[in-house]
Amino acid sequence: MEETKKNQESTTHKIGIYLWIWGLLFVLSFFSYMVDWYQFQGLLRWSLILFFMFLKAGLIMAFFMHLFWERYALVNVLLWPMTAIACFVGLMVAEGKYTLFSRLFYFFIGGQ
Amino acid sequence: MSDPKIEGLELKPGFKGMASDTASDQTMFKGVHWGKAMMWIFLLSDTFVFSCFLISYMKGRASTPVEWPNPSEVFALNAFGVPVPLLLIAIMTFVLITSSGTMALAVKYGYERNRKMCGWLVLATALGGLTFVGMQAFEWSKLIHEGVRPWENPFGAPQFGSYFFMITGFHGTHVSIGVIFLFIYAYKVFAGHYDNGKKGWFTTMKGDYVEIEILGLYWHFVDLVWVFIFAFFYLW
Amino acid sequence: MSEDFKDKNIIQAQSSETISGSGSGVSPDMDYVRPAEIPEQDLYHGHSFITKWVFCQDAKVIGVQYFCLATFTGIIGLILSWLMRLQLGFPEAAGFMTAEHYYQFVTMHGMIMVVYFLTALFLGGFGNYLIPLMVGARDMVFPYVNMVSFWMFFVAVGVLLASFFVPGGPTGSGWTLYPPQAILEGTPGSGMGIILMCVSLALFVIGFTMGGLNYLITILQARTRGMTLMRLPLTVWGIFTATVLAMLAFPALLVSAIMMSLDKLLGTSFFMPTILKAGEVLEYGGGSPILFQHLFWFFGHPEVYIVALPAFGIVSDLISVHSRKNIFGYRMMVWAIVGIGALSFFVWAHHMYVSGMNPWFGFFFATTTLIIAVPTAMKVYNWILTLWRGNIRMNTVMLWCLGFIVTFVNGGITGIFLGNVTVDVPLSDTYFVIAHFHMVMGIAPLMVIMGAVYHWFPLVTGRMLSEKLGKWHFWATFLGAYSIYFPMHYLGFIGVPRRYFEMYDSPYMTSAVGMNEFISTAAFLVGAAQFILIFNIVKSLKIGKPAGKNPWKANSLEWLTPSVPPEHGNWGERLPVVHRWAYDYSVPGAKDDFIVQTTPPSEVVHTKVEKT
Repeated sequence: MEETKKNQESTTHKIGIYLWIWGLLFVLSFFSYMVDWYQFQGLLRWSLILFFMFLKAGLIMAFFMHLFWERYALVNVLLWPMTAIACFVGLMVAEGKYTLFSRLFYFFIGGQ
Repeated sequence: MSDPKIEGLELKPGFKGMASDTASDQTMFKGVHWGKAMMWIFLLSDTFVFSCFLISYMKGRASTPVEWPNPSEVFALNAFGVPVPLLLIAIMTFVLITSSGTMALAVKYGYERNRKMCGWLVLATALGGLTFVGMQAFEWSKLIHEGVRPWENPFGAPQFGSYFFMITGFHGTHVSIGVIFLFIYAYKVFAGHYDNGKKGWFTTMKGDYVEIEILGLYWHFVDLVWVFIFAFFYLW
Repeated sequence: MSEDFKDKNIIQAQSSETISGSGSGVSPDMDYVRPAEIPEQDLYHGHSFITKWVFCQDAKVIGVQYFCLATFTGIIGLILSWLMRLQLGFPEAAGFMTAEHYYQFVTMHGMIMVVYFLTALFLGGFGNYLIPLMVGARDMVFPYVNMVSFWMFFVAVGVLLASFFVPGGPTGSGWTLYPPQAILEGTPGSGMGIILMCVSLALFVIGFTMGGLNYLITILQARTRGMTLMRLPLTVWGIFTATVLAMLAFPALLVSAIMMSLDKLLGTSFFMPTILKAGEVLEYGGGSPILFQHLFWFFGHPEVYIVALPAFGIVSDLISVHSRKNIFGYRMMVWAIVGIGALSFFVWAHHMYVSGMNPWFGFFFATTTLIIAVPTAMKVYNWILTLWRGNIRMNTVMLWCLGFIVTFVNGGITGIFLGNVTVDVPLSDTYFVIAHFHMVMGIAPLMVIMGAVYHWFPLVTGRMLSEKLGKWHFWATFLGAYSIYFPMHYLGFIGVPRRYFEMYDSPYMTSAVGMNEFISTAAFLVGAAQFILIFNIVKSLKIGKPAGKNPWKANSLEWLTPSVPPEHGNWGERLPVVHRWAYDYSVPGAKDDFIVQTTPPSEVVHTKVEKT
């Protein structure tokens, strides 16, 4: 179906890169666990959680899923749709806050 | 992986390459196997499924006036009499990342046509996945034992249990399906189907080690989803 | 016409020779097309009746299967609409129908027409049949998965129709299935009905994902030599973009179906707020009904374009072929399709202006909604400019295309009304909305489907449909559809609410009683007129004029197969090699008024073709 045979010689990477990423994932998981262990709160907690989360996700996608080595045509096709998700997330943050506001307002304050 | 060699076409790097790949005839993703392209698009679609789940969770949690249960207490586990927050979750994360690493190596050895090594690593991945599912079953039964139900729980907002069971359940289903396929593919590797190009089931395509990469993509995706679930359910 | 075609065939053979003989490296030959990247696809050829016609892996057979099953469900939807119109226009004649029945018919009509009829017909039917032919592939890339996709759809339809026979009947919550009422007692079909609906939708999504992956990978990775994305016929572009939308939008539907089933079956409260029923607090509490609406419309709005974009693409091809002109602004058309597709994920909450969502969202969604009108309007201008001074053939196909443009512009303009919050609020939930969306995504895509049936029937069966019957069919449908939906705008303006079983003696209804009777009568006639098509198909299958090869003198690859109708594998010995886009009609200096896609440049040196 495909000319995979032709390009097989050039496709593998040194084992070191995988071991490095593997180690990094453990370290990052450990760090994000530490966020909970030390009970950071508030903005620091959330930003640290998101930071480690995106870093881990990025490493997995870039190296374990080989996206770093893929051609940009594939990478862009996969990443651009995420803008729709980002928009959905952003709007639902606003919507969640508004729902909470209207519940508190109409059930507790406005109702009296 | 690194750029394929294509007769009569010079591949350019970067965005210029993207433009010329897109503008060329025959294929848009140069040198990408049909099955691999299909898996990527499927994973994109599946990303939207999990995103919708997680967005619903976010919306539900953000808009509830009842207090949300504190995850580091709910998911704590007693080790030697001391409650350790998220102990089981930490181990589960460790197991899943380990299996992701073995899968990545399996793909590498597969492309090097190292049948034995590839097979053992796929098998190790399958066992890691199985361990993960087992621990998740343990976690569920512990929570159910403590009175957490999809419709109510003793710790706070009832939506906690609903979203937790639904999303981890959906993720667990993905893991279980992955484990089944990992065992099947481990058998296929050991049987040499990818060395001699034996045709698979239900397809006229010849077997090739690229199938290990396709399976690997799925497995890493499952790991990727876990990264998000770990952050949003257990840490947040 | 067949002589012309033979001529072309020879040219094609010559060009293939030149190329395959050139070996590796760049040839100075102007007809050079670089060699194939991918070896030939190895196909499974069925031998028995079952593997050839039932569990068949040939995309063309699967396409016809999709077409027939979708049409079958569509006819059920049509009958349901008759029953609804009977109740609305002549309530005394519909004594057998209760309010529950009416709501069930409304719901099933909506869901069947949008998902099981239009989506399945455009993507499953036309997509399967045309994609491999138009891109020059032997079949879809995963024929087995493609076959399973159809049978999943079959099961989904079966589950959907089974809900008519369960206790309580099918769900009657409107096609949007809004909770809480969809799963609460008092709504018809709140028991088994809604569960079967969710199951059926989930099956449809799974089945569609299988098919959709096939369409996408076939278009992206299995084109023939010389076939660049910018040489694809717009039909393929429309179906492609619609499939992308479907792959990314159906997940939201799947998620909302799963969550609603859990609310119903397990008693979770994802979408269920605290509810007082007859003074009694139900067990639900704390959920958010608005969340369902967001999820549903995050699917639902792209769904509108899933139906519309293939129609845009197909109608572009039909207009171009039958006015013997290249499509005006091909690249603009492509970018408009892609742009509409991308934007469609950012407009969903314009369906929710009166839902009680965050009021600031109105700004965002009104803006994006009006922006999406820009590429849509560009497409309309381009269709008209394609017709402008074209050598128009006033045949049935062209009539359907013109009908499409008129109804689409009509529905599009009312869409601009409804996209603005201040105009939408008073018009929400009135017949104006009904008129709008039936015009823009009911009648308009249907016109294209009809045009496409008349256009490609000769390819699928080898026989022409009767033009005379076709013209009767068109005029009955076009005038009838206008008689149905045009008065509905007025009904909306005077405030008649949608989804009401009966208006009794409401003051605004007294002036509309006659109009409702008129609309219903028109609806019966339009529905009946569709049987002209079925009669036409049955008759033409037997005694239709043999079509021969390429009866419309079209350029695109599907007409260039060695046998008509095309066989499994499509292309015989050798895959076609593409040298140009599909729109070289009436080229100055050319011998004929069309230059098929496989004609090499050396054959048409004295013409003024655009470089594509």
